[in-house]
Amino acid sequence: MTLPDRSALSRRDYLRTLVAIGGATALSACVSESGAVDVPTGTDDPESLPARQHAWNDVLSRDDDGNVQSPEHHVLLPLSLVDEPTDAARAQVEDALRTLERAYEWSNEGLVFTIGYTPAYFDRFDDSLPESVALPEPAALTAAENPVFDEFDAVLHLASDHSQVVLEAEEGLFGDHDDLNGIAVETDLTGVFERLEEQRRSGFVGAGLPAEHTDVSGVPDSVPEDAPFFMGFRSGFIDSQATEDRVTIEDGPFAGATTQHIESLETQLRTWLEQDSHPMRVRKLFSPEHADEELVGDVGEKLTTTNGLTDERIDATEADARDGVVGHAQKAARGRIDGEPPLLRRDFNTVDGDRPGVHFLSLQHGIDEFVRVREAMTGADLDVGNANNGILSYIFVDRRGNYLLPPRSLRALPPTNPQ
Amino acid sequence: MHDHDLDRRTFVQRTGATTGILALAGCLGTDGDDEDEDRDDPDNGDDAEMPRFPEIDDPPAAVYRPTHRESMRMLEPITAGEYTLAPMLSYPHPFWLITGGTGEDDVERVDPEQGRGVHLMITLWDDDTGIVLPVDTSATIRIFQDGDQIGSPQSPWPMISQEMGFHFGDNVPLEDDGTYTVEVELPPIPTHTTGDLEGRFTDSETATFEFEYDQAFRDQVVGGVEYLDESEWGERGALEPMDHGRDDGQHGDDHDDDGHHHDNGHVPDSALPSAEAYPGTRLEPTDGVDTDLPRSGDAAVLVTLLEAGSRLADGDEQYLLVSPRTPYNRVPLADMAMSVTVDREGEPVGDADGVALEQTIDSEYDLHYGASLPALQPGDSVTVTIESPPQVARHQGYETAFLEMPSLEFTVPEESDA
Repeated sequence: MTLPDRSALSRRDYLRTLVAIGGATALSACVSESGAVDVPTGTDDPESLPARQHAWNDVLSRDDDGNVQSPEHHVLLPLSLVDEPTDAARAQVEDALRTLERAYEWSNEGLVFTIGYTPAYFDRFDDSLPESVALPEPAALTAAENPVFDEFDAVLHLASDHSQVVLEAEEGLFGDHDDLNGIAVETDLTGVFERLEEQRRSGFVGAGLPAEHTDVSGVPDSVPEDAPFFMGFRSGFIDSQATEDRVTIEDGPFAGATTQHIESLETQLRTWLEQDSHPMRVRKLFSPEHADEELVGDVGEKLTTTNGLTDERIDATEADARDGVVGHAQKAARGRIDGEPPLLRRDFNTVDGDRPGVHFLSLQHGIDEFVRVREAMTGADLDVGNANNGILSYIFVDRRGNYLLPPRSLRALPPTNPQ
Repeated sequence: MHDHDLDRRTFVQRTGATTGILALAGCLGTDGDDEDEDRDDPDNGDDAEMPRFPEIDDPPAAVYRPTHRESMRMLEPITAGEYTLAPMLSYPHPFWLITGGTGEDDVERVDPEQGRGVHLMITLWDDDTGIVLPVDTSATIRIFQDGDQIGSPQSPWPMISQEMGFHFGDNVPLEDDGTYTVEVELPPIPTHTTGDLEGRFTDSETATFEFEYDQAFRDQVVGGVEYLDESEWGERGALEPMDHGRDDGQHGDDHDDDGHHHDNGHVPDSALPSAEAYPGTRLEPTDGVDTDLPRSGDAAVLVTLLEAGSRLADGDEQYLLVSPRTPYNRVPLADMAMSVTVDREGEPVGDADGVALEQTIDSEYDLHYGASLPALQPGDSVTVTIESPPQVARHQGYETAFLEMPSLEFTVPEESDA
């Protein structure tokens, strides 16, 4: 794999590019660039870690408004089983994942991760998943899309504020790297799983990071300096996110699990940032009233802990559509259940394929809840043209995948009916 | 190349353009408007001469004659499933986006980000009926050079122009000369269709075409610009629709060798049928009007009541057909929201909030907005309320019209026995 030209990139951009490339060479370049980063080590006591794999919020950093901050660097590793699951393979997977937990503190300073399993993985078992788990095969969710589906077995999501941690963890599990933050790697995932490198995905999130990618084709210079996301605004407001409790499956053999949907999409930022005006972007991303009342600010700084979608603004969606334009968040909020947002978004920006995009990773109780919100967001029921229907004309879905994130106790090659 | 040089000289003479900075804003008396001066700063730095886009002071809130006729290269129409697409290429140029239509932030002038590139336009029509499909199809365009995708996918804007009528388009920046491949994905059309179009357009289709971006192209489309006499700029009126059967401009056979210039057959015009072609009882504007059709925001609005039993009406109801179009060129005005209320002797009939009119494409009456209504009686007052003006992007000359669109009142005439 060719490394990027160091002299052509800022240090932060260089590090993010290395994460996107991955592999031992990128890791070694990353280590030599970062020097000795002091990464807190993990724990020998698995019982001290949360029972839920997706329990990240308590250990991630918070912004000044109290919103959970996503780690800066993300890798999604698609995995394919080499052989059918056995108890020996389960023990190997568990040992390998415990190595990560010993090596890195369970936090954004260390490493947080999940392993999720697809419907294709569970198909190999005679029994079907219990009714408490809503995990259908992925499907196209709009008339305009023709996505590729994640039909491999599993995906490992690695996230950290340190680029070298996500790279090192990956190399420890699959490469020749036998020392993770001072912990010897005695068991890795090779022999049980293969990495599907062609489908490896990576990304980043954080104020100012998108603006550092203007060297990428399709990322215009006009990406706002302080924006944490390519679309130019903050998101992930805590009051507009589901809680971890809300997305957790409470009953049945997979109690403590959640479901994950990954929608990988490309974004058209040139027209979004160069053609639409700021008020137009606010209308299309939030709601017309957000623009008229100037509720958002340049990059969403006026929104503190909520996207500002009151019941009135949500109820106005149909009427706003007939007035010509309707907001993305406004439409999606119609998918709330008893007034609560059902999705816990952990999406991040990407320049995979050297084009801007988003890996829209979302956790929810069941995939049906994702579909409910996505259909509300698509707004096929609304009387509005495509160009003014939220951000539909700026996003292009390439892939979809559905996953079960079992509780930590069942994360190693779970059967469909664990006892 | 001699002809091209001549054309370029002609262009320079007509416009006073030089290859350096051109303070046309000053010539036109638009000094003092900083925005305008910025726009006249050439951002080229390369050999892609761009035509100048002079501002017109205080254009009317109506359709007006722009500063020039656009020049473009027609490519060979291509078929994809039920559709035929005609791609057209011009130089990148300003257009206007609409979100809403009545507020100060609702209309945005979009200037090209750079001189190098094209304004890509596509006219899409149904092969069977020849009807240009004035719908926001949420098409996706991807552009490739040597097999590599250039930039991100994009959804072209639905647009109207005096010369091209309804089409899809956008400015597309291009860095290098060469051959580009364009892939157009067309999802199913969600718009309500009737007549011979009912049940059609349910499959996704993909069409692909190529074009050459080079100096000869730039010379053709820039050199072919025809500026109107300055006294006409901003006058109420419109350019004639272009002759779709040939390249615009006076380049004769210059491009025979590149495969792009040819008699590419007939590209249908998006123009709606003339008012006389519509059956039913034409409703009479309550306030007398001096135009053939009443106007709202300078749109000409045909309102006719089709008798019970019409194929468009539900059961034994009548069908109110509302067909808004641009004046002069009868370009369909898509993506509006409209509703209708009926009053009889001062009392509302039916829902006092009105009945929403559904955007529909019919094989005979083309794009219109319609609703079935219980039998109206002579003397009934019918009010058509425009909730939002056409949410389609505009080329110059259409951007100040069809924005503020007051409701229109009609009376069912005595002879109505529908």
